[in-house]
Amino acid sequence: MSKINFYLLEYAYTYILRHKSKNFFIVTVFTLLVALLASLFFITTSVEHELTSRIENQPDIVVENYQAGKPSSINVLLLDKLLEIDGISSGKIRVQGSYYFRAKDKTFHIVGIDAFEQQNDPFIQKLLNIYDLNSSSMLVSKSVQDVMKKAYYTDYFNFIKPDGNLQRVYIKASFDTAKRVELKNLIVMQKETAKKIFGYAANQATDIALDVANKNELDFISSKIRLILPNVKVISKNDLRVKYEKLFNYDSGVFLSLFVIAIFTFFVIIYDKANGLSSEEKREIGILKALGWRVEDVLHAKFYEAALLSFFSFFLGLLLAFIYVFILKAPLLGDIFMHENLLNIHTFRLDVYVELSYVLLIFLLSVPIYIAATLIPSWRVATLDADEVMR
Amino acid sequence: MFVFKLFFFLSLLTFTNLFAYPNYSHAVKEKKMYPMGKKIFEMKCSGVDVSHYESYDALLVGIAKTKECSRLKASYQEALALYLWDVKREKKVANKYAKIQVSHDEKCPVCGMFLYKYPRWVSMIEYNDGKKLYFDGMKDLMKYYFEHKKGVKLMLTQGYYTQETIAAKDAYFVLGSDVYGPMGNELVAFKDKERAKNFLFDHHGKKILSFDAITPQTVYKLDE
Repeated sequence: MSKINFYLLEYAYTYILRHKSKNFFIVTVFTLLVALLASLFFITTSVEHELTSRIENQPDIVVENYQAGKPSSINVLLLDKLLEIDGISSGKIRVQGSYYFRAKDKTFHIVGIDAFEQQNDPFIQKLLNIYDLNSSSMLVSKSVQDVMKKAYYTDYFNFIKPDGNLQRVYIKASFDTAKRVELKNLIVMQKETAKKIFGYAANQATDIALDVANKNELDFISSKIRLILPNVKVISKNDLRVKYEKLFNYDSGVFLSLFVIAIFTFFVIIYDKANGLSSEEKREIGILKALGWRVEDVLHAKFYEAALLSFFSFFLGLLLAFIYVFILKAPLLGDIFMHENLLNIHTFRLDVYVELSYVLLIFLLSVPIYIAATLIPSWRVATLDADEVMR
Repeated sequence: MFVFKLFFFLSLLTFTNLFAYPNYSHAVKEKKMYPMGKKIFEMKCSGVDVSHYESYDALLVGIAKTKECSRLKASYQEALALYLWDVKREKKVANKYAKIQVSHDEKCPVCGMFLYKYPRWVSMIEYNDGKKLYFDGMKDLMKYYFEHKKGVKLMLTQGYYTQETIAAKDAYFVLGSDVYGPMGNELVAFKDKERAKNFLFDHHGKKILSFDAITPQTVYKLDE
């Protein structure tokens, strides 16, 4: 067994070609099955990977104020009170939110920044290293700029404040969000400017972001803040992770049911195949035995045949799945994960991220089983005498 | 009457002067003002030399007069002045030790556990001959230290809340809390007593000890 017997390999190859229609059917089913399973796993791992990387750019704790059960603005003086808590290493007031541009039915995401504060998001930090903003200038993403251009705003944009007055802000520069699709509608401006647009008073802000040096303390500090400020909602990174995971597991459940159906179909096909050989195949084995082949040789040839078929189908299936998910961006299946309203996850970029353990799982579920399903009935026939088989 | 008036004004003058230095708490300054001031100093106002000024007020006025900083908001100027006055001049933030780094195959000499898995607890002894030993917590460090006291140059551990590297000899330790290290009950380290007290309340600690007050008995009792 140590060396590949090329005569037997050639025999197996010609055998496959001789039974074209039957083997073509098997290859098709096998490939589609592997492609389906692989694309399911590719999508889930890639999306999961992307979600965790998005959480990385979030602050450790976000404190939101609630009034009458609805989110409302928070008092900026609370920050100093919260900073007194041991374990919180830094904190800042955030002014950010959505601005609805009615004329073009688009929503912009405005983030107020303070150039002298530490930014959580490296992308924004990078922007601020290049551009120096003043109180009447802003940075806009390329897609925001396009929308503004369609409304004939090229140098500046007039934001309508809640009191009906206009706030003119000049476009300092536009940036390309590249891979960060979640920042597609981003506008960056000074906090003071953003406050005016949102209609906040001087002591109001959207929320407070805190960073915690020792991540083990995250839950404890969150509960401590809840005690001090009973009206606020405290969202820690852990909470966010759990929330994402919950939703994600629900989606994965849908995928799992697909997975079970696919596997079941495959096993039915395998069962059918393992249950017996056609009389033609039986006769062929009988002839081989009459020619003097040993059981060993027959099984050897059958092994090559099954291995050729299953490996070819497996890799073809993987390739198809790879193209479908990472190049075509999973046109239909991917929609399962688009929860625009639930998590503000608008789009996924589906980066190439493959977990080899899943590939191995698919491999083990398909290839060895198929090879076994080919070998066992052949072995049963091959152990019989030649005349008995051909009779 | 005149003398009284003079006295009144003089005292008022000293009083206001005393409180010209802003009245922020230590935490707010350390967590908000200094980092911001440092950033302003590095980005905009690196030309300001704090050693030229006699008082905090003079520094604040000086910053307002400097060309590149004069257009900054008052709150930024204040953050810059605080940073320069406290950190640059008085060095209130003590010189920090570098973060304790351990490689992937470093093991604790007392318990034999790999250290890279528990980076928050890693502590270190450096001996005069340059030998450095890393431990997965103060408890194991102390066990080793009681046996090998000679020639110790430096002992470092990490403050629980801040994760900054601190000298073990100046630290305060909380025993019997509900926070466990990789080896179970731990001596949880803090840079100052205030933080240790807060931790004691938060995490149901039993007592606070300074480094010198730790005895072999207390350490071995933690394992029971």
